[in-house]
Amino acid sequence: MKKLVIIPAHNEALSIKSTVETIRAKAPSYDVIVINDHSLDDTGKILKDNNIPAINLSVNLGIGGAVQTGYKYGAINGYDLAVQVDGDGQHDPEYLKTLEEALINNNADLVIGSRFIDKEGFQSSSLRRSGIRYFTGLIKLLGHQTITDPTSGMRMVNSKTMKLWAKDYPRDFPEPESCLMALKSKLKVMEVPVIMKERQGGKSSIHILKGAYYMIKVTFALILEGVRSHDDA
Amino acid sequence: MMTLKIQIIIAVMIAIFVAVLFVMTVKKSIQPKYTLAWFLISLGILILDIFPNLMTALSDAIGIFSPVNMIFFVGFLYMGFIIFALSVALSRMSGRVTSLTQEMAILRKKIEDKEEESK
Repeated sequence: MKKLVIIPAHNEALSIKSTVETIRAKAPSYDVIVINDHSLDDTGKILKDNNIPAINLSVNLGIGGAVQTGYKYGAINGYDLAVQVDGDGQHDPEYLKTLEEALINNNADLVIGSRFIDKEGFQSSSLRRSGIRYFTGLIKLLGHQTITDPTSGMRMVNSKTMKLWAKDYPRDFPEPESCLMALKSKLKVMEVPVIMKERQGGKSSIHILKGAYYMIKVTFALILEGVRSHDDA
Repeated sequence: MMTLKIQIIIAVMIAIFVAVLFVMTVKKSIQPKYTLAWFLISLGILILDIFPNLMTALSDAIGIFSPVNMIFFVGFLYMGFIIFALSVALSRMSGRVTSLTQEMAILRKKIEDKEEESK
């Protein structure tokens, strides 16, 4: 079984090496591919010097375009499952096993690591949590399934979902929208409890000032996704 | 009515714009299909500027007091249309750039892997 870890990295020079090393130590059966999203710091050099497999984007595509590159790479190279792990060290590779077991044992197409099932670890601010709860409600309304952590970046997919997302993936703030996309394509989506840490380096792509824009943009994107017709994947 | 002064000012502005447009098209900084759209609006405004009476009837009919306002109104609508068309073109373009960047980066990775193998 070919398994791929996709690590989108934009200016993650501080943490990328340790992120990759941790994954290699804790999940040795996985291939690692870093998508270097046109980093302006030393990320590219660090990847090269340490011989870490990387795809270097010559134009900054943003998180959606970077992650999609990973899914395309996975689909082209015949991977059976792929998992996104953020380059900032927020995700503990310890959980890859949990996600993998859930995916395989339940024959699921998409497994999301959720912070809010057991409510342990880094829980984000209460403002963000209410925002996330709102998206949970909206996705429930449009996709008829409760996803407790639709903004989680820790997601594992099988080749079916990989192909769907390789073809079409949202550009910015992709998590909630791609999640609804999977639901609307009749894919089997499930969640497993995970514990996340606070980010090590880099910064969240969601700043406080951008919060309102994020809410409006994602709401709009979800509603659009809700009315869009989908073939079953 | 329009004063001769504003008629001349508008005519001169259009003349300068058309000259710039022409030079840019020759230098290929703007594609001919866009040049055409901008040239047509310039020409339209120029004609109405020279013969404001053409507009008087129409501006009366839709309740605009002076022909000069009519020129601005029609020009504004047309520009709105051009800008909207550009948003559409830009969206399509950005999707293409994304795909190209991804394909190219994946191919480069493949080539690097091949080179590594043959070493």
